[in-house]
Amino acid sequence: MTPQQHHSTAGRWPSERPRVVVTGIGVKTPAGLTLDEAMSAVLAARSTAALHDELAEGGSPVHFACRVPEFDPEPYVTRRERRQIDRPTELALCAAADAVEQAALSGLPSARVGVHLGTGIGGLPTMESSVREHYGDSRRMPVHAVPRTMANSAAARVAMRYGFRGSCVTYNTACASGATAIGEAARRIQYGELDVAVGGGFDAAVTAFMLTGFSRMQALSTRNDAPEQASRPFDAQRDGFVMGEGAAVLVLERRESALARGAHIFGEVAGYATNADAHHIVAPHADGAVAAACMADAIADAGLLPADIGQINAHGTSTPANDSSEATAIHRCFDGQAPPVTAVKGVTGHLIGGSGALEAAISLVCAERRIVPPVANLTEPSEADRIDVVFGAPRSVDRAPVLSNSFGFGGQNVCLVLLPAT
Amino acid sequence: MTHNGPAGTRTADSVGVPSSSDTSSADLSAVVRETIAEVLGTTPDAIVDSTDLRTEYGIDSLELMAIGAQLERVLNVPISAEDLMGADTVGQAVELLAQRKAGRE
Repeated sequence: MTPQQHHSTAGRWPSERPRVVVTGIGVKTPAGLTLDEAMSAVLAARSTAALHDELAEGGSPVHFACRVPEFDPEPYVTRRERRQIDRPTELALCAAADAVEQAALSGLPSARVGVHLGTGIGGLPTMESSVREHYGDSRRMPVHAVPRTMANSAAARVAMRYGFRGSCVTYNTACASGATAIGEAARRIQYGELDVAVGGGFDAAVTAFMLTGFSRMQALSTRNDAPEQASRPFDAQRDGFVMGEGAAVLVLERRESALARGAHIFGEVAGYATNADAHHIVAPHADGAVAAACMADAIADAGLLPADIGQINAHGTSTPANDSSEATAIHRCFDGQAPPVTAVKGVTGHLIGGSGALEAAISLVCAERRIVPPVANLTEPSEADRIDVVFGAPRSVDRAPVLSNSFGFGGQNVCLVLLPAT
Repeated sequence: MTHNGPAGTRTADSVGVPSSSDTSSADLSAVVRETIAEVLGTTPDAIVDSTDLRTEYGIDSLELMAIGAQLERVLNVPISAEDLMGADTVGQAVELLAQRKAGRE
């Protein structure tokens, strides 16, 4: 695309709106501890779901989840700092450290660098264990109980670590939080407030209590006898999502400054839109009209037309309701001419606040490699009347922008348009 | 008395040091050093009487409170972060605690 195409959104943005590129990506996910690892697992359509004994022992009706493989946090976080943070923050800090290191930022005024992260659940799992361990025993309540569990802990820690003094904001749009953070971070750069933003999402809520809560709504797959087959977006036999955990953090930057300093550019965050179903506290609207409008708005925000999109990285949670209404929304937005659709949650599970950010990162790689990953566990597509979901093997496509969808409880819709580097 | 090492503990302020009512001054020093080491993620032998936690470790107010809360619980003497802030070195803090304990006994 050319910068002139941005003129189609004239009236909303100055014609000289800065383009926002990605110069660093860090991930700590069930599918891998680097973006390359995660991408390989996604292309192989290899599920990462596994049984975890503590879930059954804790009384959860669901005994499996997608967990981040064990890794040594010492290179990232000192023992002193580890005592003061919880797992969600630790995963976010590690991913952010990888992203910042990769971007190799230097010589920037600290006030022009911000941190924008999203989390759906934040420190609630830690608060859960604090209540269990310290309720009614104030002398044993850790001094760091509040700073460890507050939702903005991770963003504040990233800002503290690097001395980034620009806007530092934590977003909650439930399962869309990571996508919201990236979209809002891009806006700050487009608006001229920041030159660089660390943007992404995280969550780590694989606890018996959290899983029990989600399964009380019948949101989770209960396939305890075959966890690796449980997450199957757009498949006729799907029965709910699989809880995951993890963090994905991107360094976003003005394209001009990235080019000027010779940084490696992974691609571009070109379009963003968000709206709300205003319909039901957890269920998506079945007619998909508002979600479709969100997709259309994000595409227009990028100065593109629906026909310019080469593939869609769907939210695709593997819940009966999400996948059906999302298929309808895509069909509606693209007027029956939607490009191929993929979804990574068959591999990664649902990272909640981390999902939208990880999927944006994966989308950038897909755009660059001109490939659409197959959906894991999909053998019987139930939405084939409306959308063309890729399964079985990766599919090659032309070099083209990718639409990445994220939806959250509360009727939150968030769409990003990612471009290969130009 | 024995000191359970802090290795492996991640829960703040729950250092594995036993409570004791007849702590000798050598034991007192050991408890203080071990508590500080746990909060700062180091080993007790890195903390000596002349250690200045502010200049050498950049200790912050919450970390001091965490140390104070733990010592208060283990030694069963009232000690606030303000008390600890009044001490320039670890040795002075141990002395202060010894006085508090003596005062109670």
